[in-house]
Amino acid sequence: MSKNKGEKGSLLLELFSEEIPARMQTGSEKQLTSLFEKSFINRDIGYGPISTFCSPRHLSVIIKNIDLKQKNQIIEKRGPRLGSNEKAINGFLKSNNIQENDIVIKDTKNGKFYFYLNQTNGINTSEVLPEIINEIINNFVWPKSQRWAYSELRWARPLRNILLLFNNQPIEGKVAINENNFLNFSTYTFGHRNENKKIEVKSIDEYEELLENNYIILDRKKRKNKIINDTKLLLKDKDIKLLDDDYLLDEVLGLVEFPNVLIGTIDKQFMNLPKEVLTTAMKVHQKYFSIIDDKNNLVPKFLFVSNTTPKKERDISVIEGNERVLKARLSDADFFWKTDIATKIESFNEKLKKVLFYEGLGSLHDKTIRLSKVSKYFSSFFKVDVSLAREACILSKFDLVSEMVGEFPELQGIMGGHYTKLNGKPNEISNAIFDQYKPKGISNDMPKTKLGCMLSMVDNIDNLTGFFIINKKPSGSKDPFALRRAGYSIVQILMKLKLNISINDLFTEALKSYENSSKMIKLDLIDFIIDKVKFILKKQNFRHDIIESVISLEESKNYFFPILYERVNCLNDIKDTNEFKTFLVNFKRLNNIIKSNILLDISNVKLNTHLFESSEEQEIYDKSKCLDFNLKKYLTDIEHQGILLKEVISLNYVIHSFFEKIIVNHEDNKIKVNRIKLLTELAERLLKFSNFHYIDN
Amino acid sequence: MDKNKSFQNIIMKLQYYWMDQGCVLIQPYDTEVGAGTFHPATVLRVLGPDPIWKAAYIQPCRRPTDGRYGENPNRLQHYYQFQVIIQPSPDNIQNLYLESLNAVGLNSKNHDIRFVEDDWESPTLGASGLGWEIWCDGMEISQFTYFQQVGGIEVKPVASEITYGLERLAMFIQKVENIYHLDWDGLDKDKGGKTYGDIFLQQEKEFSIYNFEKSNSSVLIQHFNDAEKECSFLLEDKINPLPLPAYDQCIKASHIFNLLDARGVISVSERQAYILRVRNMSRSCCLAWMDKSNV
Repeated sequence: MSKNKGEKGSLLLELFSEEIPARMQTGSEKQLTSLFEKSFINRDIGYGPISTFCSPRHLSVIIKNIDLKQKNQIIEKRGPRLGSNEKAINGFLKSNNIQENDIVIKDTKNGKFYFYLNQTNGINTSEVLPEIINEIINNFVWPKSQRWAYSELRWARPLRNILLLFNNQPIEGKVAINENNFLNFSTYTFGHRNENKKIEVKSIDEYEELLENNYIILDRKKRKNKIINDTKLLLKDKDIKLLDDDYLLDEVLGLVEFPNVLIGTIDKQFMNLPKEVLTTAMKVHQKYFSIIDDKNNLVPKFLFVSNTTPKKERDISVIEGNERVLKARLSDADFFWKTDIATKIESFNEKLKKVLFYEGLGSLHDKTIRLSKVSKYFSSFFKVDVSLAREACILSKFDLVSEMVGEFPELQGIMGGHYTKLNGKPNEISNAIFDQYKPKGISNDMPKTKLGCMLSMVDNIDNLTGFFIINKKPSGSKDPFALRRAGYSIVQILMKLKLNISINDLFTEALKSYENSSKMIKLDLIDFIIDKVKFILKKQNFRHDIIESVISLEESKNYFFPILYERVNCLNDIKDTNEFKTFLVNFKRLNNIIKSNILLDISNVKLNTHLFESSEEQEIYDKSKCLDFNLKKYLTDIEHQGILLKEVISLNYVIHSFFEKIIVNHEDNKIKVNRIKLLTELAERLLKFSNFHYIDN
Repeated sequence: MDKNKSFQNIIMKLQYYWMDQGCVLIQPYDTEVGAGTFHPATVLRVLGPDPIWKAAYIQPCRRPTDGRYGENPNRLQHYYQFQVIIQPSPDNIQNLYLESLNAVGLNSKNHDIRFVEDDWESPTLGASGLGWEIWCDGMEISQFTYFQQVGGIEVKPVASEITYGLERLAMFIQKVENIYHLDWDGLDKDKGGKTYGDIFLQQEKEFSIYNFEKSNSSVLIQHFNDAEKECSFLLEDKINPLPLPAYDQCIKASHIFNLLDARGVISVSERQAYILRVRNMSRSCCLAWMDKSNV
């Protein structure tokens, strides 16, 4: 191969290991890319497109258009100052082993100096590759990694082979496992476990196809498509479809190198178990997909993705095996279900007294009592019946000691819903209990009923309040009690239901129920929720500075949520209009004038209209007074937020003409002070609506 | 009846297979344990004195809380594990495992074998490792762990541990849906052949009653305290400690804790304290063992 200037090379690296956990695979591809980019950039080696692949055992990268040589390197060496004596110059020449015509004069900020520009030829990329590969492997960070045998190297699971080709040629080199043991770069890899074949790779371009022929589909997307297409084929001609579960699909993708989609049958005897129990038992333990008909009912079939190469006889026995396992799992679930429904709710509830909610926060039974107390206050806001709310709270936690939830914690609430229904409790109550853990944080999956929303909110408020009291606030990346999620969930409900509750009032009752009167804790809780409000508003595409301008108002804690929302919404609507932008400019001017006269004490000054010398002053005075009147009347009226904002912006003209015509710094100090007072009052009124100076223009 | 697939035959085949791989065949430890890992042949041996240690053994395990009065076809409070511990972990250990399946008549090429992430941690042993649960056609038949830590001490070189759930494996091989129906000896009933149920059903019933209803909590708590005292007494002499008898006390305490747990008398907050106490015992034993082995 000729190595002309400008010719490029391509590279293939495959890190072959024992099965890497599914959850780490996507991240590992990204990391491989960024580590290569870093290594190439640091060495001044140009490179083209990078593509990565990851299956459980194969993590690989192909990089095209790589410079065959590192760019030439110029190292500048500074010599003596221009005009130095000959001795110094000769010393510099000698120490660098160069002649006089090798040096140049360069200007620096300290004056002119002699310089030697040492140009070295870039090294061949193929020669630095071993170093780069070592660097990448040693700098790789896994969420969790291990040693094996005598290894000093850590990897997610033992690293067994490193395939490396550059321009389809092998590269000599190795990676240290420890001081004495190495993995030499190889030119082969391994196929599917069912075949257990060693595969010689000769061409980078054919690598992906070669592996596919050996039943390794390297590309995650291709594996996904195969699963989706095979599923379609299997379910064709029937009115049934997969119960969508992207999370499960993602996980399954990381468990197979050659997805083989198969369908099995659920034993009829289990079909009267609740849908959620069946789906959860299949998903959590077995990673099976559920199948539903056009009415959303489960059909007695399950779909799973095996990691096998296609072979009819094997498929049949794999399906049989899985059916037997599922039968065992479901008879377990059936046992739990029967035990639970034979148990009285009262005796479950009695058991709650012995189960700690958390050290220092009483038992789960105590929690239900607190919830019912707090619900008394909130039920009117949610327009739900007080006694229903009370009973829903009392019955909300008993399922935590049921057999089913013991086995499947993700069924909490859901089982409570089923068991209360079976016990003849009102539908409102069982529905609320069923949905009480929704929404999960910022999710839009809300409880279906108002009572459900209330139960969810009261429970989350209790969680936040309790953990704040015992000082287990989330910090940094640590949030073991998912309190941030609890906060988001509270705010979601407040916003979606447009509840007339203020942040200030959210925690009062809960703190009382914990018999806590600490102002500090209350303030902490309020700040915490304010943070969540800001975040959720931002998620709804409101601009950060607009949100800030409203939420940062001292009074905002006392506003009902819908008002905060409406005000942010109004501001956001007009934020890009020219009128608003000029208003901001004028407001800024107004603000600057006030600021520059900050030393003037005007707190005791009374505005005197007799000192007005112009119609502009009078006009500001009139409009400002009118604004004051309307603010007092409508500031917390949801219908008037837009109208108030219009009034605020319309002041644009008067402020503008004031600044055009009037010089604030009048020689008569009385007049000057009067004018400052006039403007300050106006600004103070404007700032009741929003901190306009927070808004970027 | 198929003698080849009988429960006892599966055990024999596993023993022969791992013997051929150079493992010493040890017998079960004679104290109640919750898992094969508790056997000193695993916990203490991976800390020394010899960096090469290969052992295989069957171990009866007790999990009092898993008892179901013999009424659940999949759960037992007493069951068998087959344990293989090899240090340092061989490079071809996964293949050695797959071949062991072939040895018991389960050709891995005819099945969907999956290595699914399952990191292992034993809070009472202060031990942890990374590995997988191994699925065969959806059934978890083994646990595979690269030991990283025991007694809070780094394991060097790293050992690989394979634990077969023998009942699960046999159920898979015999295609049986109820543990109690497992064929134990491959003999027909009229010739005196026994099923798993013939041998263990009565035991499951009685021990479930004992574990859940009859055990005397105050006596057990006293036993726990005694074991803890004895353990620390045996390690008191810093020049001549007795880590092996001390470790026996640690295992006993661990089992007593499990019994108390099954009886439902340990609250959430106490639970943590008990676990910590056992953990301290096991850590002291491991440290004394290492000192004595001069590692």
